[in-house]
Amino acid sequence: MIAILILCFFVGMGVGSADVSILDIIKSLLSPGDVYMGKIIISIRLPRVIAAIVLGGALSVSGFLLQIFFGNPIAGPYVLGISSSAKLFVALFMVFLLGNGVTISSLFMVVAAFVGSLLAMGVVVALSQKVKNMSLLVVCGVMIGYICSAITEFVIAFADDTNIVNLHNWSLGSFSGINTTHVLISFVIVAIAIAFTIYFSKPISAFQLGENYARNMGVNIKRIRIVLVILSSILSATVTAFAGPISFVGVAVPHIMRGVMKTAKPLVMIPACFLGGSIITLICDCIARTAFAPTEISISAVTSVFLAPVVIYLLVARREVSRG
Amino acid sequence: MDNSIFSQGLGVGYGKDNIVLDGLSFSINPGEIVCLIGANGAGKSTVLKTIVRQLKKLSGSIVINGLREDEMSEADVAKHVSMVMTERIHPELMSCYDVVATGRFPYTGRLGILTDGDKAAIEQALSLVGAEKTAYKDFSKISDGQRQRIMLARAICQDTEVMVLDEPTSFLDLQYKLDILKVIKKMAKTKNMAVLMSIHELEFVPGIADKVIGIVKNGVYLTGTPKEVLTGENIQKMYGMSLDNSNILCLGLWKYADAIVELLECQK
Repeated sequence: MIAILILCFFVGMGVGSADVSILDIIKSLLSPGDVYMGKIIISIRLPRVIAAIVLGGALSVSGFLLQIFFGNPIAGPYVLGISSSAKLFVALFMVFLLGNGVTISSLFMVVAAFVGSLLAMGVVVALSQKVKNMSLLVVCGVMIGYICSAITEFVIAFADDTNIVNLHNWSLGSFSGINTTHVLISFVIVAIAIAFTIYFSKPISAFQLGENYARNMGVNIKRIRIVLVILSSILSATVTAFAGPISFVGVAVPHIMRGVMKTAKPLVMIPACFLGGSIITLICDCIARTAFAPTEISISAVTSVFLAPVVIYLLVARREVSRG
Repeated sequence: MDNSIFSQGLGVGYGKDNIVLDGLSFSINPGEIVCLIGANGAGKSTVLKTIVRQLKKLSGSIVINGLREDEMSEADVAKHVSMVMTERIHPELMSCYDVVATGRFPYTGRLGILTDGDKAAIEQALSLVGAEKTAYKDFSKISDGQRQRIMLARAICQDTEVMVLDEPTSFLDLQYKLDILKVIKKMAKTKNMAVLMSIHELEFVPGIADKVIGIVKNGVYLTGTPKEVLTGENIQKMYGMSLDNSNILCLGLWKYADAIVELLECQK
Protein backbone atom coordinates (compact mmCIF):
# COMPACT_ATOMS: atom_id res chain seq x y z
CA MET A 1 0.00 0.00 0.00
CA ILE A 2 2.91 2.29 0.74
CA ALA A 3 4.12 1.55 -2.79
CA ILE A 4 0.79 2.67 -4.21
CA LEU A 5 1.03 5.82 -2.12
CA ILE A 6 4.49 6.60 -3.47
CA LEU A 7 3.29 6.02 -6.99
CA CYS A 8 0.34 8.33 -6.40
CA PHE A 9 2.71 10.86 -4.89
CA PHE A 10 4.63 11.12 -8.15
CA VAL A 11 1.49 11.15 -10.23
CA GLY A 12 0.15 13.91 -8.01
CA MET A 13 3.35 15.86 -8.41
CA GLY A 14 3.37 15.32 -12.16
CA VAL A 15 -0.12 16.23 -13.25
CA GLY A 16 -1.31 19.78 -13.45
CA SER A 17 -1.61 22.62 -15.86
CA ALA A 18 2.14 22.50 -16.47
CA ASP A 19 3.67 19.18 -17.44
CA VAL A 20 6.50 17.92 -15.31
CA SER A 21 8.47 14.72 -15.86
CA ILE A 22 9.27 12.32 -13.07
CA LEU A 23 12.95 13.00 -13.52
CA ASP A 24 12.30 16.69 -12.98
CA ILE A 25 10.42 15.95 -9.80
CA ILE A 26 13.23 13.92 -8.33
CA LYS A 27 15.83 16.46 -9.39
CA SER A 28 13.92 19.38 -7.97
CA LEU A 29 13.25 17.55 -4.72
CA LEU A 30 16.96 16.93 -4.32
CA SER A 31 18.15 20.35 -5.37
CA PRO A 32 15.50 22.92 -6.10
CA GLY A 33 16.56 25.85 -8.17
CA ASP A 34 18.57 23.76 -10.62
CA VAL A 35 15.56 22.67 -12.57
CA TYR A 36 13.44 24.91 -14.68
CA MET A 37 10.22 23.83 -12.99
CA GLY A 38 11.75 23.57 -9.52
CA LYS A 39 9.97 26.49 -8.06
CA ILE A 40 6.50 25.36 -9.08
CA ILE A 41 7.17 21.90 -7.83
CA ILE A 42 8.50 22.87 -4.44
CA SER A 43 6.25 25.75 -3.56
CA ILE A 44 2.97 24.77 -5.17
CA ARG A 45 2.79 21.10 -5.97
CA LEU A 46 4.66 19.66 -3.01
CA PRO A 47 2.62 21.30 -0.24
CA ARG A 48 -0.55 20.39 -2.00
CA VAL A 49 0.33 16.76 -2.45
CA ILE A 50 1.58 16.38 1.10
CA ALA A 51 -1.55 18.12 2.38
CA ALA A 52 -3.71 15.67 0.48
CA ILE A 53 -1.77 12.78 1.98
CA VAL A 54 -1.84 14.04 5.56
CA LEU A 55 -5.36 15.42 5.59
CA GLY A 56 -6.92 12.62 3.57
CA GLY A 57 -5.41 10.14 5.99
CA ALA A 58 -6.57 12.15 8.99
CA LEU A 59 -10.09 12.30 7.65
CA SER A 60 -10.47 8.58 7.22
CA VAL A 61 -8.98 7.78 10.62
CA SER A 62 -11.45 10.27 12.08
CA GLY A 63 -14.23 8.42 10.29
CA PHE A 64 -12.97 5.09 11.59
CA LEU A 65 -13.03 6.37 15.19
CA LEU A 66 -16.54 7.75 14.78
CA GLN A 67 -17.74 4.45 13.38
CA ILE A 68 -16.46 2.66 16.45
CA PHE A 69 -17.85 5.30 18.78
CA PHE A 70 -21.36 5.01 17.39
CA GLY A 71 -21.08 1.30 16.57
CA ASN A 72 -22.32 2.37 13.18
CA PRO A 73 -20.59 1.61 9.89
CA ILE A 74 -22.01 4.66 8.13
CA ALA A 75 -20.79 7.29 10.58
CA GLY A 76 -18.24 9.81 9.40
CA PRO A 77 -17.30 13.44 9.99
CA TYR A 78 -19.10 14.65 6.90
CA VAL A 79 -22.34 12.68 7.13
CA LEU A 80 -22.73 13.52 10.80
CA GLY A 81 -22.46 17.24 10.10
CA ILE A 82 -19.22 17.60 12.05
CA SER A 83 -17.22 18.90 9.09
CA SER A 84 -19.92 21.42 8.25
CA SER A 85 -20.11 22.70 11.79
CA ALA A 86 -16.34 23.11 11.84
CA LYS A 87 -16.62 24.99 8.57
CA LEU A 88 -19.24 27.30 10.03
CA PHE A 89 -17.04 28.22 12.95
CA VAL A 90 -14.01 28.85 10.80
CA ALA A 91 -16.10 31.06 8.53
CA LEU A 92 -17.47 32.97 11.50
CA PHE A 93 -14.03 33.59 12.93
CA MET A 94 -12.61 34.48 9.54
CA VAL A 95 -15.27 36.99 8.66
CA PHE A 96 -15.61 38.75 11.96
CA LEU A 97 -11.96 38.90 12.85
CA LEU A 98 -10.76 39.83 9.39
CA GLY A 99 -13.56 42.37 9.27
CA ASN A 100 -12.12 43.98 12.36
CA GLY A 101 -8.67 44.07 10.90
CA VAL A 102 -7.26 41.18 12.92
CA THR A 103 -5.27 38.64 10.97
CA ILE A 104 -5.74 35.13 12.19
CA SER A 105 -3.10 32.46 12.26
CA SER A 106 -3.72 29.01 10.86
CA LEU A 107 -3.44 27.51 14.32
CA PHE A 108 -6.33 29.69 15.34
CA MET A 109 -8.36 28.35 12.44
CA VAL A 110 -7.78 24.82 13.72
CA VAL A 111 -8.98 25.85 17.16
CA ALA A 112 -12.10 27.41 15.65
CA ALA A 113 -12.75 24.29 13.62
CA PHE A 114 -12.19 22.15 16.70
CA VAL A 115 -14.77 24.15 18.66
CA GLY A 116 -17.22 23.69 15.81
CA SER A 117 -16.51 19.95 15.60
CA LEU A 118 -17.00 19.44 19.33
CA LEU A 119 -20.26 21.34 19.25
CA ALA A 120 -21.66 19.26 16.41
CA MET A 121 -20.34 16.13 18.09
CA GLY A 122 -22.19 17.11 21.27
CA VAL A 123 -25.44 17.51 19.38
CA VAL A 124 -24.99 14.21 17.56
CA VAL A 125 -24.12 12.34 20.76
CA ALA A 126 -27.21 13.81 22.45
CA LEU A 127 -29.30 12.71 19.48
CA SER A 128 -27.78 9.25 19.47
CA GLN A 129 -29.12 8.69 22.99
CA LYS A 130 -32.62 9.05 21.59
CA VAL A 131 -32.18 7.77 18.07
CA LYS A 132 -31.05 4.17 18.17
CA ASN A 133 -31.51 3.54 14.48
CA MET A 134 -28.27 4.26 12.69
CA SER A 135 -29.77 5.33 9.40
CA LEU A 136 -31.93 7.89 11.19
CA LEU A 137 -28.88 9.21 13.02
CA VAL A 138 -27.16 9.78 9.71
CA VAL A 139 -30.21 11.64 8.40
CA CYS A 140 -30.04 13.88 11.48
CA GLY A 141 -26.33 14.42 10.85
CA VAL A 142 -26.94 15.40 7.25
CA MET A 143 -29.58 17.87 8.44
CA ILE A 144 -27.12 19.40 10.90
CA GLY A 145 -24.72 19.68 8.01
CA TYR A 146 -27.30 21.53 5.93
CA ILE A 147 -28.14 23.92 8.77
CA CYS A 148 -24.47 24.74 9.24
CA SER A 149 -23.88 25.19 5.51
CA ALA A 150 -26.87 27.49 5.29
CA ILE A 151 -25.63 29.65 8.15
CA THR A 152 -22.21 29.71 6.52
CA GLU A 153 -23.88 31.16 3.42
CA PHE A 154 -25.38 33.92 5.56
CA VAL A 155 -22.01 34.65 7.05
CA ILE A 156 -20.44 34.86 3.63
CA ALA A 157 -23.11 37.34 2.61
CA PHE A 158 -21.84 39.67 5.32
CA ALA A 159 -18.21 39.25 4.39
CA ASP A 160 -16.04 41.80 2.62
CA ASP A 161 -15.64 41.36 -1.09
CA THR A 162 -12.03 40.31 -0.81
CA ASN A 163 -12.82 37.54 1.61
CA ILE A 164 -15.73 36.17 -0.30
CA VAL A 165 -13.77 34.54 -3.07
CA ASN A 166 -11.38 32.86 -0.66
CA LEU A 167 -14.08 31.77 1.65
CA HIS A 168 -16.26 30.44 -1.07
CA ASN A 169 -13.52 28.35 -2.63
CA TRP A 170 -12.54 27.00 0.70
CA SER A 171 -16.05 26.23 1.87
CA LEU A 172 -16.50 23.79 -0.98
CA GLY A 173 -13.35 21.93 -0.08
CA SER A 174 -10.09 22.37 -1.91
CA PHE A 175 -6.39 21.85 -1.45
CA SER A 176 -5.50 24.74 -3.72
CA GLY A 177 -4.83 27.45 -1.14
CA ILE A 178 -2.43 25.46 0.95
CA ASN A 179 1.09 26.70 1.67
CA THR A 180 4.08 25.20 3.42
CA THR A 181 3.21 26.60 6.86
CA HIS A 182 -0.23 25.06 6.72
CA VAL A 183 1.24 21.73 5.77
CA LEU A 184 3.70 21.86 8.62
CA ILE A 185 1.07 22.72 11.22
CA SER A 186 -1.39 20.12 10.00
CA PHE A 187 1.37 17.53 9.84
CA VAL A 188 2.30 18.11 13.47
CA ILE A 189 -1.29 18.03 14.72
CA VAL A 190 -2.21 14.97 12.71
CA ALA A 191 0.97 13.12 13.70
CA ILE A 192 0.28 13.70 17.39
CA ALA A 193 -3.38 12.73 17.07
CA ILE A 194 -2.55 9.55 15.15
CA ALA A 195 0.10 8.61 17.70
CA PHE A 196 -2.51 8.94 20.45
CA THR A 197 -4.98 6.91 18.44
CA ILE A 198 -2.52 4.06 18.12
CA TYR A 199 -1.70 4.39 21.81
CA PHE A 200 -5.37 3.89 22.61
CA SER A 201 -5.95 1.19 20.00
CA LYS A 202 -6.39 -1.54 22.59
CA PRO A 203 -9.31 0.00 24.51
CA ILE A 204 -10.72 1.09 21.15
CA SER A 205 -10.77 -2.51 19.98
CA ALA A 206 -12.43 -3.52 23.24
CA PHE A 207 -15.08 -0.92 22.49
CA GLN A 208 -15.92 -2.83 19.31
CA LEU A 209 -17.57 -5.58 21.38
CA GLY A 210 -19.92 -3.03 22.90
CA GLU A 211 -19.65 -0.99 26.06
CA ASN A 212 -20.61 -3.66 28.55
CA TYR A 213 -18.01 -6.15 27.45
CA ALA A 214 -15.43 -3.42 27.17
CA ARG A 215 -16.04 -2.51 30.80
CA ASN A 216 -15.64 -6.14 31.78
CA MET A 217 -12.27 -6.12 29.99
CA GLY A 218 -11.10 -3.44 32.36
CA VAL A 219 -11.66 -0.45 30.11
CA ASN A 220 -12.63 2.85 31.65
CA ILE A 221 -15.66 3.56 29.49
CA LYS A 222 -16.04 7.24 30.30
CA ARG A 223 -12.43 7.97 29.53
CA ILE A 224 -12.37 6.10 26.25
CA ARG A 225 -15.55 7.81 25.09
CA ILE A 226 -13.98 11.20 25.72
CA VAL A 227 -10.77 10.13 24.01
CA LEU A 228 -12.69 8.97 20.95
CA VAL A 229 -14.67 12.21 20.71
CA ILE A 230 -11.65 14.45 21.11
CA LEU A 231 -9.38 12.55 18.74
CA SER A 232 -11.92 12.27 15.96
CA SER A 233 -12.84 15.93 16.38
CA ILE A 234 -9.24 17.10 16.26
CA LEU A 235 -8.56 15.10 13.14
CA SER A 236 -11.60 16.26 11.22
CA ALA A 237 -11.19 19.84 12.50
CA THR A 238 -7.65 20.02 11.16
CA VAL A 239 -8.81 18.86 7.78
CA THR A 240 -11.65 21.34 7.69
CA ALA A 241 -9.50 24.24 8.81
CA PHE A 242 -7.09 23.81 5.93
CA ALA A 243 -9.02 22.20 3.15
CA GLY A 244 -12.68 22.79 3.94
CA PRO A 245 -15.18 20.00 4.28
CA ILE A 246 -14.27 17.06 2.09
CA SER A 247 -17.19 14.78 1.67
CA PHE A 248 -17.52 11.03 2.22
CA VAL A 249 -13.82 10.14 2.58
CA GLY A 250 -14.37 9.57 6.32
CA VAL A 251 -17.27 7.18 5.78
CA ALA A 252 -16.20 5.26 2.75
CA VAL A 253 -12.48 4.70 3.25
CA PRO A 254 -12.70 2.72 6.53
CA HIS A 255 -15.27 0.52 4.88
CA ILE A 256 -13.16 -0.06 1.79
CA MET A 257 -10.15 -0.78 4.00
CA ARG A 258 -12.08 -3.32 6.07
CA GLY A 259 -12.80 -5.09 2.82
CA VAL A 260 -9.19 -4.93 1.70
CA MET A 261 -7.58 -5.90 4.99
CA LYS A 262 -10.29 -8.43 5.96
CA THR A 263 -10.11 -7.36 9.58
CA ALA A 264 -11.42 -4.65 11.88
CA LYS A 265 -8.56 -4.64 14.37
CA PRO A 266 -7.69 -1.05 15.18
CA LEU A 267 -3.98 -1.74 15.30
CA VAL A 268 -4.14 -2.74 11.63
CA MET A 269 -6.99 -0.49 10.62
CA ILE A 270 -5.60 2.83 11.84
CA PRO A 271 -2.52 2.80 9.60
CA ALA A 272 -4.52 1.15 6.82
CA CYS A 273 -7.20 3.84 6.97
CA PHE A 274 -4.57 6.53 7.00
CA LEU A 275 -2.83 5.18 3.90
CA GLY A 276 -6.09 4.40 2.14
CA GLY A 277 -7.42 7.87 2.87
CA SER A 278 -4.19 9.40 1.59
CA ILE A 279 -4.29 7.46 -1.65
CA ILE A 280 -7.93 8.13 -2.37
CA THR A 281 -7.72 11.82 -1.51
CA LEU A 282 -4.60 12.22 -3.62
CA ILE A 283 -6.23 10.58 -6.60
CA CYS A 284 -9.37 12.66 -6.19
CA ASP A 285 -7.29 15.82 -5.91
CA CYS A 286 -5.50 14.97 -9.16
CA ILE A 287 -8.83 14.48 -10.85
CA ALA A 288 -10.12 17.75 -9.39
CA ARG A 289 -7.13 19.57 -10.83
CA THR A 290 -6.99 18.01 -14.23
CA ALA A 291 -10.45 16.90 -15.28
CA PHE A 292 -11.57 20.31 -16.44
CA ALA A 293 -8.19 22.06 -16.53
CA PRO A 294 -7.42 24.89 -16.37
CA THR A 295 -10.60 25.30 -14.30
CA GLU A 296 -10.33 23.51 -11.02
CA ILE A 297 -13.31 21.75 -9.52
CA SER A 298 -13.74 21.29 -5.78
CA ILE A 299 -12.41 18.08 -4.36
CA SER A 300 -15.73 17.37 -2.68
CA ALA A 301 -17.32 17.16 -6.10
CA VAL A 302 -14.90 14.39 -7.02
CA THR A 303 -15.07 12.50 -3.74
CA SER A 304 -18.86 12.67 -3.77
CA VAL A 305 -19.09 11.15 -7.22
CA PHE A 306 -16.83 8.25 -6.30
CA LEU A 307 -17.59 7.66 -2.66
CA ALA A 308 -21.25 8.53 -2.16
CA PRO A 309 -22.28 5.33 -3.99
CA VAL A 310 -20.27 3.39 -1.41
CA VAL A 311 -22.30 5.05 1.33
CA ILE A 312 -25.55 4.17 -0.42
CA TYR A 313 -24.36 0.59 -0.68
CA LEU A 314 -23.62 0.59 3.05
CA LEU A 315 -27.07 1.94 3.88
CA VAL A 316 -28.78 -0.73 1.85
CA ALA A 317 -26.57 -3.73 2.54
CA ARG A 318 -25.74 -3.34 6.19
CA ARG A 319 -29.18 -2.58 7.52
CA GLU A 320 -29.44 -5.61 9.73
CA VAL A 321 -26.08 -5.15 11.42
CA SER A 322 -27.10 -2.16 13.55
CA ARG A 323 -25.98 -2.58 17.11
CA GLY A 324 -29.21 -1.16 18.45
CA MET B 1 -10.07 -16.59 52.11
CA ASP B 2 -12.20 -19.63 51.63
CA ASN B 3 -14.87 -18.10 49.43
CA SER B 4 -14.32 -16.40 46.09
CA ILE B 5 -17.15 -13.95 46.30
CA PHE B 6 -19.64 -12.95 48.93
CA SER B 7 -22.09 -10.16 49.31
CA GLN B 8 -23.64 -8.67 52.39
CA GLY B 9 -26.94 -6.82 52.36
CA LEU B 10 -26.64 -6.06 48.65
CA GLY B 11 -29.28 -3.70 47.29
CA VAL B 12 -29.76 -3.60 43.52
CA GLY B 13 -32.00 -1.66 41.17
CA TYR B 14 -32.17 1.29 38.85
CA GLY B 15 -31.72 4.31 41.08
CA LYS B 16 -33.14 5.05 44.52
CA ASP B 17 -36.75 5.10 43.33
CA ASN B 18 -36.56 1.74 41.65
CA ILE B 19 -35.03 -0.74 44.06
CA VAL B 20 -35.46 -4.24 42.69
CA LEU B 21 -33.98 -6.29 45.50
CA ASP B 22 -32.57 -5.30 48.84
CA GLY B 23 -30.47 -7.00 51.47
CA LEU B 24 -29.17 -9.89 49.36
CA SER B 25 -26.44 -11.88 51.07
CA PHE B 26 -24.74 -14.89 49.55
CA SER B 27 -21.35 -16.49 49.23
CA ILE B 28 -19.83 -18.75 46.62
CA ASN B 29 -16.80 -20.95 47.20
CA PRO B 30 -14.19 -21.76 44.56
CA GLY B 31 -15.42 -24.48 42.22
CA GLU B 32 -19.01 -23.98 43.29
CA ILE B 33 -21.91 -23.24 40.94
CA VAL B 34 -24.81 -21.18 42.22
CA CYS B 35 -27.99 -20.80 40.17
CA LEU B 36 -30.12 -17.73 40.39
CA ILE B 37 -33.77 -18.47 39.66
CA GLY B 38 -36.97 -16.48 39.73
CA ALA B 39 -39.77 -15.17 37.57
CA ASN B 40 -39.23 -12.66 34.76
CA GLY B 41 -38.61 -9.24 36.24
CA ALA B 42 -37.75 -10.62 39.67
CA GLY B 43 -34.26 -9.14 39.42
CA LYS B 44 -31.95 -11.94 38.31
CA SER B 45 -30.24 -9.90 35.61
CA THR B 46 -30.19 -6.84 37.84
CA VAL B 47 -28.17 -8.71 40.46
CA LEU B 48 -25.72 -9.99 37.83
CA LYS B 49 -25.35 -6.60 36.18
CA THR B 50 -24.57 -5.05 39.53
CA ILE B 51 -21.83 -7.58 40.20
CA VAL B 52 -20.14 -6.86 36.87
CA ARG B 53 -20.63 -3.13 37.48
CA GLN B 54 -23.01 -2.38 34.63
CA LEU B 55 -25.25 -0.99 37.34
CA LYS B 56 -24.25 0.82 40.50
CA LYS B 57 -25.08 -1.08 43.64
CA LEU B 58 -27.44 0.80 45.90
CA SER B 59 -26.32 -0.56 49.25
CA GLY B 60 -24.37 -3.34 50.90
CA SER B 61 -21.06 -4.75 49.80
CA ILE B 62 -19.54 -7.20 47.38
CA VAL B 63 -16.24 -8.81 48.31
CA ILE B 64 -14.23 -10.66 45.70
CA ASN B 65 -11.26 -12.75 46.76
CA GLY B 66 -11.00 -10.79 49.97
CA LEU B 67 -11.09 -7.39 48.25
CA ARG B 68 -14.02 -5.02 48.41
CA GLU B 69 -15.28 -4.50 44.88
CA ASP B 70 -15.86 -0.77 45.29
CA GLU B 71 -12.19 -0.30 46.11
CA MET B 72 -11.11 -2.05 42.91
CA SER B 73 -10.47 -0.29 39.62
CA GLU B 74 -12.16 -1.46 36.43
CA ALA B 75 -8.93 -3.11 35.35
CA ASP B 76 -8.75 -5.01 38.66
CA VAL B 77 -12.35 -6.19 38.45
CA ALA B 78 -11.63 -7.47 34.94
CA LYS B 79 -8.96 -9.79 36.36
CA HIS B 80 -11.32 -11.24 38.96
CA VAL B 81 -14.77 -11.38 37.36
CA SER B 82 -15.63 -12.50 33.84
CA MET B 83 -19.05 -12.54 32.28
CA VAL B 84 -21.29 -13.89 29.55
CA MET B 85 -24.40 -11.76 29.22
CA THR B 86 -27.53 -12.11 27.11
CA GLU B 87 -26.68 -9.00 25.13
CA ARG B 88 -25.66 -9.92 21.60
CA ILE B 89 -22.45 -8.54 20.23
CA HIS B 90 -21.95 -7.71 16.58
CA PRO B 91 -18.26 -7.48 15.96
CA GLU B 92 -17.33 -6.83 12.37
CA LEU B 93 -14.98 -9.17 10.59
CA MET B 94 -13.76 -10.86 13.73
CA SER B 95 -13.00 -14.55 13.77
CA CYS B 96 -14.08 -16.59 16.78
CA TYR B 97 -10.44 -16.72 17.77
CA ASP B 98 -10.31 -12.91 17.83
CA VAL B 99 -13.41 -12.76 20.00
CA VAL B 100 -11.97 -15.27 22.46
CA ALA B 101 -8.69 -13.36 22.44
CA THR B 102 -10.43 -10.26 23.79
CA GLY B 103 -10.71 -12.20 27.04
CA ARG B 104 -6.94 -11.77 27.44
CA PHE B 105 -7.29 -8.01 27.37
CA PRO B 106 -6.74 -7.35 31.06
CA TYR B 107 -3.37 -9.06 30.76
CA THR B 108 -1.93 -7.84 27.49
CA GLY B 109 0.23 -4.76 27.15
CA ARG B 110 -0.55 -1.31 25.85
CA LEU B 111 -1.03 -2.38 22.25
CA GLY B 112 -2.81 -5.61 23.06
CA ILE B 113 -0.29 -7.90 21.39
CA LEU B 114 -0.76 -11.54 22.42
CA THR B 115 2.16 -13.37 24.00
CA ASP B 116 2.71 -17.12 23.76
CA GLY B 117 1.17 -17.46 27.20
CA ASP B 118 -1.95 -15.63 26.03
CA LYS B 119 -2.18 -17.84 22.97
CA ALA B 120 -1.88 -20.97 25.10
CA ALA B 121 -4.69 -19.71 27.35
CA ILE B 122 -6.89 -19.06 24.31
CA GLU B 123 -6.21 -22.52 22.85
CA GLN B 124 -6.95 -24.10 26.20
CA ALA B 125 -10.22 -22.23 26.56
CA LEU B 126 -11.24 -23.19 23.03
CA SER B 127 -10.58 -26.85 23.65
CA LEU B 128 -12.39 -26.74 27.01
CA VAL B 129 -15.59 -25.62 25.28
CA GLY B 130 -14.89 -27.94 22.33
CA ALA B 131 -14.76 -25.18 19.75
CA GLU B 132 -11.33 -25.74 18.21
CA LYS B 133 -12.93 -26.32 14.83
CA THR B 134 -14.92 -23.11 14.76
CA ALA B 135 -11.99 -20.94 15.88
CA TYR B 136 -11.21 -19.47 12.48
CA LYS B 137 -14.78 -18.93 11.30
CA ASP B 138 -16.32 -15.46 11.19
CA PHE B 139 -18.09 -14.84 14.49
CA SER B 140 -21.13 -13.31 12.82
CA LYS B 141 -21.64 -16.41 10.66
CA ILE B 142 -21.96 -19.17 13.26
CA SER B 143 -25.04 -20.54 15.01
CA ASP B 144 -26.34 -19.27 18.36
CA GLY B 145 -25.18 -22.42 20.08
CA GLN B 146 -21.64 -22.09 18.77
CA ARG B 147 -21.66 -18.41 19.59
CA GLN B 148 -22.52 -19.13 23.20
CA ARG B 149 -19.58 -21.53 23.42
CA ILE B 150 -17.24 -18.92 22.01
CA MET B 151 -18.47 -16.33 24.50
CA LEU B 152 -17.92 -18.87 27.25
CA ALA B 153 -14.39 -19.53 25.99
CA ARG B 154 -13.80 -15.78 25.98
CA ALA B 155 -14.79 -15.60 29.64
CA ILE B 156 -12.74 -18.71 30.50
CA CYS B 157 -9.49 -17.35 29.10
CA GLN B 158 -10.02 -14.15 31.07
CA ASP B 159 -8.77 -16.39 33.88
CA THR B 160 -10.85 -15.07 36.76
CA GLU B 161 -11.91 -16.51 40.11
CA VAL B 162 -15.53 -15.58 39.54
CA MET B 163 -17.69 -15.97 36.44
CA VAL B 164 -21.10 -14.42 35.98
CA LEU B 165 -23.44 -15.98 33.41
CA ASP B 166 -26.79 -14.50 32.47
CA GLU B 167 -29.10 -17.21 31.13
CA PRO B 168 -26.38 -19.14 29.29
CA THR B 169 -28.88 -21.78 28.15
CA SER B 170 -31.57 -19.54 26.67
CA PHE B 171 -32.21 -19.77 22.93
CA LEU B 172 -30.35 -23.08 22.62
CA ASP B 173 -31.76 -26.47 21.70
CA LEU B 174 -31.79 -29.27 24.24
CA GLN B 175 -28.52 -30.87 23.18
CA TYR B 176 -26.68 -27.52 23.20
CA LYS B 177 -28.12 -26.76 26.64
CA LEU B 178 -26.77 -30.00 27.99
CA ASP B 179 -23.43 -29.43 26.27
CA ILE B 180 -22.97 -25.93 27.60
CA LEU B 181 -23.92 -26.96 31.14
CA LYS B 182 -21.42 -29.79 30.94
CA VAL B 183 -18.75 -27.33 29.91
CA ILE B 184 -19.65 -24.97 32.75
CA LYS B 185 -19.49 -27.81 35.24
CA LYS B 186 -16.15 -29.01 33.95
CA MET B 187 -14.80 -25.48 33.94
CA ALA B 188 -15.84 -24.74 37.51
CA LYS B 189 -14.10 -27.89 38.65
CA THR B 190 -10.86 -27.72 36.65
CA LYS B 191 -10.35 -23.98 37.02
CA ASN B 192 -11.69 -23.89 40.56
CA MET B 193 -13.95 -21.06 39.60
CA ALA B 194 -16.94 -19.67 41.47
CA VAL B 195 -19.87 -19.46 39.08
CA LEU B 196 -23.05 -17.44 39.51
CA MET B 197 -25.55 -18.04 36.76
CA SER B 198 -29.17 -17.18 36.18
CA ILE B 199 -31.34 -19.79 34.54
CA HIS B 200 -34.99 -20.18 33.61
CA GLU B 201 -35.08 -23.93 33.09
CA LEU B 202 -35.60 -25.28 36.60
CA GLU B 203 -35.19 -28.86 35.36
CA PHE B 204 -31.48 -28.25 34.82
CA VAL B 205 -30.85 -26.74 38.23
CA PRO B 206 -30.35 -29.96 40.25
CA GLY B 207 -27.93 -31.23 37.63
CA ILE B 208 -25.69 -28.20 37.72
CA ALA B 209 -26.12 -26.22 40.91
CA ASP B 210 -24.46 -26.70 44.25
CA LYS B 211 -26.62 -23.96 45.72
CA VAL B 212 -29.68 -22.07 44.56
CA ILE B 213 -30.80 -18.53 45.16
CA GLY B 214 -34.50 -18.22 44.41
CA ILE B 215 -35.83 -14.70 44.13
CA VAL B 216 -39.43 -14.24 45.15
CA LYS B 217 -41.15 -11.03 44.14
CA ASN B 218 -41.05 -8.02 46.44
CA GLY B 219 -37.42 -8.50 47.30
CA VAL B 220 -37.65 -11.72 49.29
CA TYR B 221 -35.30 -14.52 48.44
CA LEU B 222 -34.52 -18.09 49.43
CA THR B 223 -31.24 -19.93 49.44
CA GLY B 224 -30.31 -23.55 49.84
CA THR B 225 -29.51 -26.71 47.96
CA PRO B 226 -31.64 -27.51 44.90
CA LYS B 227 -33.61 -30.01 47.04
CA GLU B 228 -34.39 -27.33 49.61
CA VAL B 229 -35.36 -24.61 47.17
CA LEU B 230 -37.20 -26.52 44.47
CA THR B 231 -40.31 -27.49 46.41
CA GLY B 232 -43.93 -27.06 45.50
CA GLU B 233 -44.35 -24.41 48.14
CA ASN B 234 -41.40 -22.33 46.93
CA ILE B 235 -42.38 -22.59 43.29
CA GLN B 236 -45.80 -21.35 44.28
CA LYS B 237 -44.19 -18.32 45.91
CA MET B 238 -41.71 -17.56 43.15
CA TYR B 239 -43.96 -17.92 40.16
CA GLY B 240 -47.28 -16.95 41.71
CA MET B 241 -49.21 -20.11 40.92
CA SER B 242 -51.65 -22.11 43.07
CA LEU B 243 -50.18 -24.64 45.50
CA ASP B 244 -51.96 -27.54 43.80
CA ASN B 245 -50.50 -26.67 40.44
CA SER B 246 -47.01 -26.12 41.75
CA ASN B 247 -47.06 -29.45 43.61
CA ILE B 248 -48.03 -31.29 40.43
CA LEU B 249 -45.36 -29.40 38.52
CA CYS B 250 -42.72 -30.07 41.14
CA LEU B 251 -43.30 -33.80 40.98
CA GLY B 252 -42.75 -33.91 37.24
CA LEU B 253 -39.89 -31.45 37.46
CA TRP B 254 -37.89 -33.67 39.74
CA LYS B 255 -38.39 -36.70 37.52
CA TYR B 256 -37.01 -34.77 34.54
CA ALA B 257 -34.31 -33.21 36.67
CA ASP B 258 -33.13 -36.57 37.93
CA ALA B 259 -32.79 -37.77 34.36
CA ILE B 260 -30.66 -34.73 33.53
CA VAL B 261 -28.54 -35.21 36.66
CA GLU B 262 -27.83 -38.69 35.39
CA LEU B 263 -26.96 -37.43 31.92
CA LEU B 264 -24.65 -34.72 33.20
CA GLU B 265 -22.97 -37.09 35.64
CA CYS B 266 -22.30 -40.02 33.34
CA GLN B 267 -20.95 -38.16 30.29
CA LYS B 268 -17.76 -36.51 31.24
